[in-house]
Amino acid sequence: MGARSGSVLVVGVGGQGVVLSSAVAADAARRCGFDVKQSEVHGMSQRGGVVTSHLRYGDAVHSPLIAAGEADAIVALEWNEALRALPALRPGGTLIVSVERILPPSAFLDRLHGALRYPPIAVDLLRGTVPDVRACDATAVAARAGDRRAMNTVLLGVLSRVMPFSETAWDDAIVANVPPKALGANRAAFAAGRALQADDARRALARLARSDEGGDARRAAASLEIVDAWCKGEMCGICVRSCPEYCLGFDAEATAVRVTRADACTACGLCELLCPDFAIVVHPAVPA
Amino acid sequence: MTGIEYRDRLRRQMLPHILCPGCGHGIVLKALLRAARSLELDWDRTVFVAGIGCSSRLVGYIDGCTLHTTHGRALTFATGMKLARPELTVIVITGDGDGLAIGGNHLIHAARRDVDLTCLLLNNETYGMTGGQAAPTAEPGAISTTTPGGARERSFDACALAVAAGASFVARGATSLPLELDGLIARGIAHRGFSFLEIASDCPEYFGRYNQLGRGPEMLQLQRRRLDEVDRTLRAKRSLGSRRAEGPPPLRTGVLHERPA
Repeated sequence: MGARSGSVLVVGVGGQGVVLSSAVAADAARRCGFDVKQSEVHGMSQRGGVVTSHLRYGDAVHSPLIAAGEADAIVALEWNEALRALPALRPGGTLIVSVERILPPSAFLDRLHGALRYPPIAVDLLRGTVPDVRACDATAVAARAGDRRAMNTVLLGVLSRVMPFSETAWDDAIVANVPPKALGANRAAFAAGRALQADDARRALARLARSDEGGDARRAAASLEIVDAWCKGEMCGICVRSCPEYCLGFDAEATAVRVTRADACTACGLCELLCPDFAIVVHPAVPA
Repeated sequence: MTGIEYRDRLRRQMLPHILCPGCGHGIVLKALLRAARSLELDWDRTVFVAGIGCSSRLVGYIDGCTLHTTHGRALTFATGMKLARPELTVIVITGDGDGLAIGGNHLIHAARRDVDLTCLLLNNETYGMTGGQAAPTAEPGAISTTTPGGARERSFDACALAVAAGASFVARGATSLPLELDGLIARGIAHRGFSFLEIASDCPEYFGRYNQLGRGPEMLQLQRRRLDEVDRTLRAKRSLGSRRAEGPPPLRTGVLHERPA
């Protein structure tokens, strides 16, 4: 990348600290005498949605937006967001990514724990297309540095290796933008990120590729114990009508409740809470 | 599920209970048992006292120290018991008829004296056991066997009454919020002084049928709608199909009044 201009795309999920880390990087660039423009999209951040921040610096920057295939570096705080942002990276650009996996709301195929499907990890996808991948488990690194929430600053530490900003500028930018109570953890996280080596990245990627092989084991459904003699059947029907997953129905005579969709039970316990007749007990499945 | 085996605390030979299908009172009994468990009450030093009525039947199913007394006089017996044996935890279960009409005088004086009792008043707006007569809590317009053309009198706000009479802890819960109910009952029992809890319950067999409010599930849903601010706004925009001219006023749940001992 040219020393006198460059662009960084920071992506992640709401709450991870995309906007703050972008602000720190922008501040560091400004402290090194660059003209800086930054623009971010954080519409659904409060609901775990996508957050992206464009950052461009140089002698004179006229537009904050990075065109497709023109980012010198992508800083991805979440794995899937990294894959989504890939088209923005220029050939030969650097992908800095945390192996963090956060379930997007669209992956909730049903509400049984364990039945959530994260898109395939697809580490292979990166091989060949992106030569310079710097992956790490940023949250684990940040936790070792003192606070797991400083994972975004770990990635800034990695980014500092490829940006032409002085270490003093980075530190000053962190001091100026991070809340004072979190300063110690963020400085330590930055140093830990900066110290990460290529071997660490290879190991992180290998671990991630292995984790993809397990598949998604569906958790066993809960079991419901129904005392027929105490159940008042269709005349009551509170549990049948209140079950959010429509798991319950009646027997042939409609005098007692039956489980009709055992698979769908999430063990929420609403039927047990609302049964006035002590006729239902929910036994959550014991994890295997 | 909720960390309690209810059956250990019930007189199983008495079950199924006599309450009608869909009656909300059983939900309250469950919440009471959960609250007792969470407080780790000494079961041999906890007494459940009741008067007469559907709600008062509940004590008959608790496998513990229970006292089923005369109509409206549960608080009187409970006061005497607390004075004679102050180390006991005394919990009174009463209904809107038992506690506010026949025993109304006893309620206000128990509150005024601030005796260290917990009184659960299950409000289903009717006298279920005797066939669905209007209770003092029946909303204006409510149809019952004694008000076939709709109740003309104003109804009691039991919580406001308890506050005015001097109760040091007043809360309102509802069967459609069963988990909140646990916490309220537990706080009431833990409070030193007279704790009064009004609990909105449902009578599908009489009140629901006479007022065309549906059975248990529909009544729970209706009650739930009365609790929420958002739903209150929705309700203003569309009729819920109740035959009553205007819907019942919104219910505020939670601790309404608390005065440290």
